[in-house]
Amino acid sequence: MNNTFNINRFGLLLKRQWLDFGKIYLISLLVVAGVLIGFYSYYIPSIERRTDNFDYDGNLDLRFRYGIFLILGFLFTSTVASGYFSILRQKSRAILELMTPASVTEKLLSGILYTALVSLTGYLIIFYIVDLGFVKYLNSNIDAFRIANPKVPEAQSITYQMFSDKNYREYLEYFFAIPFLITSIFLLGSVYFNKFHYIKTAISVMIFSGIAIYVIYKAGGILTKNMVNISHRSAHNDRDLAFLMILLVTSALTLIFWTIAYIRLKEKEV
Amino acid sequence: MNYTLVYYLTNTVGMIKINNLNFGYSKQKPLFKNMSMQLSNGHIYGLLGKNGAGKSSLLKNLAGLVYAQSGTLEVMGFNPTKRQPALLEQICFIPEEFYLPSVKIDAYVKANAPFYKNFNHGYLFELLKEFDIPANNKLIDMSYGQKKKFIIAFGLATEAKLVIMDEPTNGLDIPSKAQFRKIMASALTDDRCIIISTHQVRDLDNLIDTVIMLDENDVALKASVEEITNKLTFKKVKELDESIIYAEASLSGYNAVMPNYHNEDSKLDMELLFNAILAEKIKFKPLFN
Repeated sequence: MNNTFNINRFGLLLKRQWLDFGKIYLISLLVVAGVLIGFYSYYIPSIERRTDNFDYDGNLDLRFRYGIFLILGFLFTSTVASGYFSILRQKSRAILELMTPASVTEKLLSGILYTALVSLTGYLIIFYIVDLGFVKYLNSNIDAFRIANPKVPEAQSITYQMFSDKNYREYLEYFFAIPFLITSIFLLGSVYFNKFHYIKTAISVMIFSGIAIYVIYKAGGILTKNMVNISHRSAHNDRDLAFLMILLVTSALTLIFWTIAYIRLKEKEV
Repeated sequence: MNYTLVYYLTNTVGMIKINNLNFGYSKQKPLFKNMSMQLSNGHIYGLLGKNGAGKSSLLKNLAGLVYAQSGTLEVMGFNPTKRQPALLEQICFIPEEFYLPSVKIDAYVKANAPFYKNFNHGYLFELLKEFDIPANNKLIDMSYGQKKKFIIAFGLATEAKLVIMDEPTNGLDIPSKAQFRKIMASALTDDRCIIISTHQVRDLDNLIDTVIMLDENDVALKASVEEITNKLTFKKVKELDESIIYAEASLSGYNAVMPNYHNEDSKLDMELLFNAILAEKIKFKPLFN
């Protein structure tokens, strides 16, 4: 018997975890859908309101959705990740989890799959559906908006906008690991802390980020003191390098946090 | 199946080997100091001890739920702290406090039973019938006692070779305790080792074949019921004499424990033995060494 990873056992574990995780996850998705619909209903351009419906370029003003997408996405994925292993703080549940005949690797991979992939995919699908629904609604009433602004084009869904715009597309891939980094941090927090995981994780992130920014800033200052930049590279190349570093660092940090979560899970005592 | 496991299941050897185990929740307050012991398959062990003696902690050590500070612990040839699936599927751990999800019995069985290769569905339904638990019940709607009976039934149906039960009779009504004793007696097979921890010693009457008593960071007594009744006799006496090691006043005189010099047959009074060992440990030590 392979005591590290077995695909059949992993499949069984996913099914079993769905019993507990699935209900909470689906209810959370419904809440997210409700919140999204609420925000869209409040901020969406209104036919009754003749002014403030357009952005600077004369398009229907849907700029609010970028902020909502990011903030709600962060809250949803981090909450789901923070709740996954939080059951281990309850002695009775922890015993049941730890005594389930599956390896620590499988238990962690199941956590990663649910918190990083399933939660993120679910959120994107819900956001896409709600956004598309409201965009369709706006476009079906576009003639009403054209009374105030005859040249207003039809609204586009956020997904279409992202993937059809070269500027978005060019840099989107560099931020690919950030959602995974967020879920990895909160997944680690859920197995690391016994109480108030979310708050404690958030505070830890703030403290460590603060320290890291301070150290980088100071180190940069010391290393480049009394020096001048003699690089012949263009600003564009420097920017690409910075974006590449963001991708590499966030990917590396994600893997590190998952590894620490594995160690903490392995060492978990009841 | 793992070769180590096959060896341990096909040979009557120490299924559990504990050597110089040191464990405690803090270094200042050790719970076990250099504890050593071997437990074999084919036995039902009764684990007794005062509150805080470490009964539950010993069971958790066996299940790999806590880590010892030093010493070695082997269960069927495995180190339980590694929590390997091959070992976990051979351990049925019934904790004192347990959790069951809010699903129906068949959904729970469907989700959990496949982890255990030898899971016996027929036996589970037999046990549920014996315990009077309707198979279509929702777990969350059941009483504490019914839930406990369900996890005992599920645990035994896994056909795990090591059955660990922490206060299994807590929450069971009187008829259920009798059912429990009957089921546990029939659950013992040559390749199975059952360890039951309890402070309600009367619940284990006629069930266990070996007594393990924990006291003062170590095993105060580990002896089979046969060995105990061969070496000690338990009887009611009117007056105390020097041969009596320990006695407790009763309505008609004293319940006494004394050395069995004349090979008398007597029934083990577990509660009396428990109190006797705690009170007169030094006097008992030479008899069981």
